[in-house]
Amino acid sequence: MKPQPLIDSALLEKLERLAIRWQKSFPGLVGGHNISHFAGPGQEFLDHRQFHHGDDLRAVNWRAYLRLEKLFLKMFQVEPRIPVRILLDCTNSMTTGGISKFDYARKLAAALCYVGLVRLDTICIQPFGEHLGDSFLCGGGRHRFIPAVNFLQGLKPSGRTSYFQIAREFISTYPQKGLLIILSDFLDDAGCERPLQYLSDFGHELILVQVWASEDRDPAWEGQLDLTDAETGETLEIGFDAAARRNYVEAFDAFTRDIQRVGLRNGGRYVGVSTDTTIEEAVFGPLARSGGLE
Amino acid sequence: MFFLNLSLPEFLAILGSLSGVVVALYLLDRMRKHHTVATLRFFAATEKPPVLKHRRKLQQPWSLLLQLLSLLLLLLAIAQLRLGSPVRYSRDHVLILDVSPWMAARLGPNRLIDQARSAARAYVNALPLADRVMVVRAGVLATPALLFESDRNKIQVAIDQTQPGAASLNLQGALDFARRAQRVQAQRPGEVVFIGAARIPNEEAARLDPPPNFRFIPIAGPTEHVGLRKMSVHRAMDDPDTWEVFLAVKNYGSAPRSIPGIVNFGGAPVATRRFELAPGVEQSFSFRFKTRAAGWLEARLATQDVFRQDSRAILELPPRGVAPVTIYSAEPDLLRPVFTAIPGIQANFLPPAKYDPKARTGVVVLDHFAPPSLPAADSVWLEPPANQSPIPVQNIQSGVKLNRWQADHPLGVGLRARDIELAGAEIFRPAPGDIVVARADAGPVIVARPGQPRMVVLGFHPVRSGMKYQLTTPLLFANIIRWMEPDAFRSWELTAGAAGTVDVELEAETDPKTVRVQTEDGKPLPFTIEGKTLRFFTADPGIVRVLTGDRELVYSLTLPQPGDAVWKPANVKQGLPGRAPAAPLSRDIWQWLALAGAAGLIADWILYGRIDRRGRTAKGAPASESGLPWWRKAS
Repeated sequence: MKPQPLIDSALLEKLERLAIRWQKSFPGLVGGHNISHFAGPGQEFLDHRQFHHGDDLRAVNWRAYLRLEKLFLKMFQVEPRIPVRILLDCTNSMTTGGISKFDYARKLAAALCYVGLVRLDTICIQPFGEHLGDSFLCGGGRHRFIPAVNFLQGLKPSGRTSYFQIAREFISTYPQKGLLIILSDFLDDAGCERPLQYLSDFGHELILVQVWASEDRDPAWEGQLDLTDAETGETLEIGFDAAARRNYVEAFDAFTRDIQRVGLRNGGRYVGVSTDTTIEEAVFGPLARSGGLE
Repeated sequence: MFFLNLSLPEFLAILGSLSGVVVALYLLDRMRKHHTVATLRFFAATEKPPVLKHRRKLQQPWSLLLQLLSLLLLLLAIAQLRLGSPVRYSRDHVLILDVSPWMAARLGPNRLIDQARSAARAYVNALPLADRVMVVRAGVLATPALLFESDRNKIQVAIDQTQPGAASLNLQGALDFARRAQRVQAQRPGEVVFIGAARIPNEEAARLDPPPNFRFIPIAGPTEHVGLRKMSVHRAMDDPDTWEVFLAVKNYGSAPRSIPGIVNFGGAPVATRRFELAPGVEQSFSFRFKTRAAGWLEARLATQDVFRQDSRAILELPPRGVAPVTIYSAEPDLLRPVFTAIPGIQANFLPPAKYDPKARTGVVVLDHFAPPSLPAADSVWLEPPANQSPIPVQNIQSGVKLNRWQADHPLGVGLRARDIELAGAEIFRPAPGDIVVARADAGPVIVARPGQPRMVVLGFHPVRSGMKYQLTTPLLFANIIRWMEPDAFRSWELTAGAAGTVDVELEAETDPKTVRVQTEDGKPLPFTIEGKTLRFFTADPGIVRVLTGDRELVYSLTLPQPGDAVWKPANVKQGLPGRAPAAPLSRDIWQWLALAGAAGLIADWILYGRIDRRGRTAKGAPASESGLPWWRKAS
């Protein structure tokens, strides 16, 4: 039986008018579509500075030299090609819920990947669990989308989340700063706020996409429950009633606010989507409103 | 306090079963549910962790108690719990109404059955409203007209529709039926009530055994009555044109009576007789009269009694059957004495030249003559030409001595002559299925062939041979004609009697396989044969025919027979009972129990049902500080 495509062609057509945007200026090679504050071999004039030994003589403003007899160097804005990295949570916590968060996150990743490929961005899909998994790098146009989808469909959720370990490995693996889109439920018992802050402090621009199932935020159960943690296997026996549910929702919302604060703190963005939302609504709604896509 | 519908063990068994089911479902519903969640941190982070140290099987005991209590109330409602004493409540009575023919007698302007119906209505009105009554109509059979019913309108209709029947009263059968009905169907047996004239045979009155709860409400009828008991007619043995008539008349009253009787045939009187009858005496009268014609024979008693159904009896006499016999003979004078000696046939002598092969009725006799084509009717061949005989001739022998008859066949019945010298005879070679009627030492000389048409071939001429002066000769021809035309020789017996069980004495040689009993319209009627007694039963008046070979008995079961005496039981309750108290001694509360049970279930559903309250909690203020109503805290 032919596997169900992650995204249908109608949605792909709609995604073609979008582009991935970031706010920070990153150095990089020419070829991108986001203006950088770093000077380089661009077309748009940026500023003048003193000529130093070794500078390119072609950038000297000879008119200013004739008038002032000083060498000034013209600096130009560049639109560098910045790698877009998508960190995809592949832990067991993503498998809970009526609609699998993992499937939902894969579809979101595919949509973002397609948007980037259409705009000739370089997309790196990096699955992670307790450690970083094998990544998939693609770029150069929409014709590279099918391999990306195949890669996404080949992913299997397993293991538990360790954001500290992930942050360490990511920083050591990818020294070049860039846009980092994290698709995850951010449920790490050790806490994910500090590792995310490390990534941000390292210079990456973060777009945190928190995916939750409806029962993650507001479980519909009532009565005596035997609960098992999907990642750790720990069990908990509780009596769950309306008061407990209210406390649960408040705790979840507080956690969400913490994630949002981390995301926005260093110029990043935060998007929270429920699996009840369709991919199209999520892309053209919260993601577009956050400025990650336009 | 008592249950109307269920006994206590039944109630407890059902309650136990249902309670077990409810508790099992409850435990199943309230047992812990297993879920796999993304993280436990938010559950653990609830303000007041409701982790239970000890697992409790019953998490909401008040809900379970409420369910069980509601179930108990509903079951009590189904069992119809009543407050009060069960002593006077809902007894089941059997009301037996006499529907014997005697109940059609008039006493004053009303018939006895009208009086019985009035008494029955009065009896039912005297019963408590909750009592149930079964209405049984007692004739020769006890027929339930209404099963145990407390609806007075239905009882009234069943009583009003009761009419006198045609068969005599079988009171013991009715009492046995009532006893069984109370034992099998009644919850609290009440009375067995008989309402009627209770005219039964003397021998039944002596052995009648009423039940202890028997009540007798007699309907007084006329005391003086004379009626026909029986009328039977059959042909005289010595003259088939003569009928022998038998009449029996009985005085059922207590005073001597002198009653003239007259018997008419076709409207003309054939006999008269005055019966001088002492009280309780039955007198018979028989006479003979001669007729060949068919018609109605009516016996009538000139009486002015109020019950006239048995003062007249009518029987339909059949015509005498005649079998046409055509004899083709060149010497008719030889055979004329033989056939004129046989009653019930009409002999027609014709020369062989006038042979008509198309004749299909009657019997054809071919004397020394073989027609070009076989006759279509039954035929008797006398010494046919050897080469044209329908039964192949083996040889012709002279000096044959006939010495054996087939006595067990109707053709040889009564033929015992031996050593008859025959000057010459054809010896036949019978085919399989042929019947050898007479045999000589050399072989068969008289052979019959059954089937359609039937055929008998004689290898000699009976009048020319040594059989001329033997009695065997007319008997042989009579047997042959009887075998071929049995209807012409059928004997008739007609009897007028009462519907019910009829015993018929069969003749000694009657084959039970040939016996048939059928109604007037030809429908078979079930019967039994025990020894030589045939017994059949019919509760409806009408004509029943019993066919036994060449004998037909016609029973005109239209003559009712009142019982010999009026039954007057001793030591039983008689007359109408006193009126019951208006208000029952117990009270129904099942309606309130049902309402309370339903209310309990609704309350349980509201308080403990799985209603999604999340929306309500999110929208507005909680009902209390903890977000739960006070009653939910109990569990």
